[in-house]
Amino acid sequence: MSKLTKETIKKLTQLSRIACTEEEQESLLRDLEKVLVYFEQLNEIDTENVEPCNHVIPDIVNVMREDEVGPTLPQEEFFRNAPAKPFDGMIRVPPVLKQG
Amino acid sequence: MMHTSTAIDMQDRFLRGENSAVSIVQHFLQRIARYDKQIGSFLSVNETKALERAEHLDKKRASGRPLGKLAAIPVSIKDNILVKGCLATCGSKFLSNFIAPYDATATRLLEEEDAIIIGKTNCDEFAMGSSTENSALQMTYNPWNLKCTPGGSSGGSGAAVAGRLSPLSLGSDTGGSVRQPASFCGVVGFKPTYGRISRSGLVAYGSSLDQIGPMAACTADVALLMEVLGRSCEKDSTTIPKGPEDYLSKMDGSIRGLKVGVPWQFLEGLLPEAKRVFDQGLEILKSLGAAVVEVDLSLLKYSIPAYYIIATAEASTNLARFDGIRYGVRSPRSHTLEEIYDLSKEEGFGPEVKRRILLGTYVLSAGYQDDYYKKAQKVRTLIIKQYRDAFQKCGIIASPVSPFPAFEIGSIRDPLQMYLVDIYNIGVNLAGVPAISIPSGFCHEGKPIGLQLIGPQMHDVDVLRAANAFEQATDFHQAIPPEYAV
Repeated sequence: MSKLTKETIKKLTQLSRIACTEEEQESLLRDLEKVLVYFEQLNEIDTENVEPCNHVIPDIVNVMREDEVGPTLPQEEFFRNAPAKPFDGMIRVPPVLKQG
Repeated sequence: MMHTSTAIDMQDRFLRGENSAVSIVQHFLQRIARYDKQIGSFLSVNETKALERAEHLDKKRASGRPLGKLAAIPVSIKDNILVKGCLATCGSKFLSNFIAPYDATATRLLEEEDAIIIGKTNCDEFAMGSSTENSALQMTYNPWNLKCTPGGSSGGSGAAVAGRLSPLSLGSDTGGSVRQPASFCGVVGFKPTYGRISRSGLVAYGSSLDQIGPMAACTADVALLMEVLGRSCEKDSTTIPKGPEDYLSKMDGSIRGLKVGVPWQFLEGLLPEAKRVFDQGLEILKSLGAAVVEVDLSLLKYSIPAYYIIATAEASTNLARFDGIRYGVRSPRSHTLEEIYDLSKEEGFGPEVKRRILLGTYVLSAGYQDDYYKKAQKVRTLIIKQYRDAFQKCGIIASPVSPFPAFEIGSIRDPLQMYLVDIYNIGVNLAGVPAISIPSGFCHEGKPIGLQLIGPQMHDVDVLRAANAFEQATDFHQAIPPEYAV
């Protein structure tokens, strides 16, 4: 397990798309460092030949159903929560491609 | 006094025509208006809709039509569970304007049994925390001592039941979030076997651990909620494909001859006051004919690191959906698509949520996944096995819920110290087993202390039976915080 650096914190904020001030990054580094050191105690346990747990209930089976269309949310109800006024039945976002 | 009666008695009196649904709802709305300014358990109250529904139920009763198991009983619901047309903020700024477009399955089942949803309760943001202090929207105070937290993350639900502002409440328990506030608030809180209650419409945090859990003033009322909620659901493929059970009738009976396992080695270092109440709880179980045996759960000292790796990994995936595009609060500072993501999350998420997202992103990132995530999943396998071995020797495991009673607001500032608070709760979620917290005594300052009873997977009824037997022999669950008794 490795030591956390400020660069790693920066990379993590980029990966998870959370803008973060320098100051916040400093405090995140301090907090997460401590937690990761705490995590290291797991290395005291021998997990050689132990299968990782994929589901807590044994013998779970896939649940299948017919591919039939059920009731769906009407568009106007969905748009009640839209952060910008919808346009022509679509969610509005700023331009993704630059002009020119 | 209406608020001191159990939900079961309340429903009975409504059916017999002694109390109208409107009078029941009005009584609790008045209590909320009178007391919740101090307690702060509700984020939103459904006054108009609840009264309309009560009028409808009174008419339904008058016309002689059949009424449901929860007829006229007010229920409050943690704000990370969807109730159509109501706010579902999850205690987050990001969702502070989000109105649920559909009902959670749990909500739908409550309404089908004629319950009255009276409001939404405060919680730690996205259920991440152990004190409800991480709610971005408001503080909740413990009705037993307003200087203290109600626990968390379902602290609003715990406080609402403790203050008798609603007889029943739904919380969610990912790592103790129903049981710990139940213990701090002196009420009953149950985390069923993983998959017993549908998670459809519960805002996801750690999907392999999350479970909706009922809270009430007594075990019978929790059993009543389990009868309504405990069933498979086509919208949650992890629900257990089994029909509903008769929790109430099966839970009756003696626990004579029951073997109660205690993981003494794991409980070393328990603080004296918690130890005193725990020992006294064991004596009560013994007096009811149970035998105490020692079991080995020594691996549980690793449950916190394993849990925080798995839960944050799942959280970082689950919370990626909050991008400010289709719903939620979009940052007004954003001018590009990238800025919508970056700034909406920056402004919308509080510090603990950011910490957990980053931690989860880290433990899942290339090069570290085997060291952290896979390692934790292997430890989880071993913990599950240790529980299974323990249940070869006993029917129920007893443990404290929390190392201490409700702590003062602001007294735990270090995130890691806050994680340690749930040391006795987290193993239960990792193993997917059912567990309950029931009132079992008080500390010298008069704050409640809960006893935890844990069963094997699918033995939810056995847990409720042991809890009910304990309750029948004690009166801790009848205590109401003095300021809110009248």
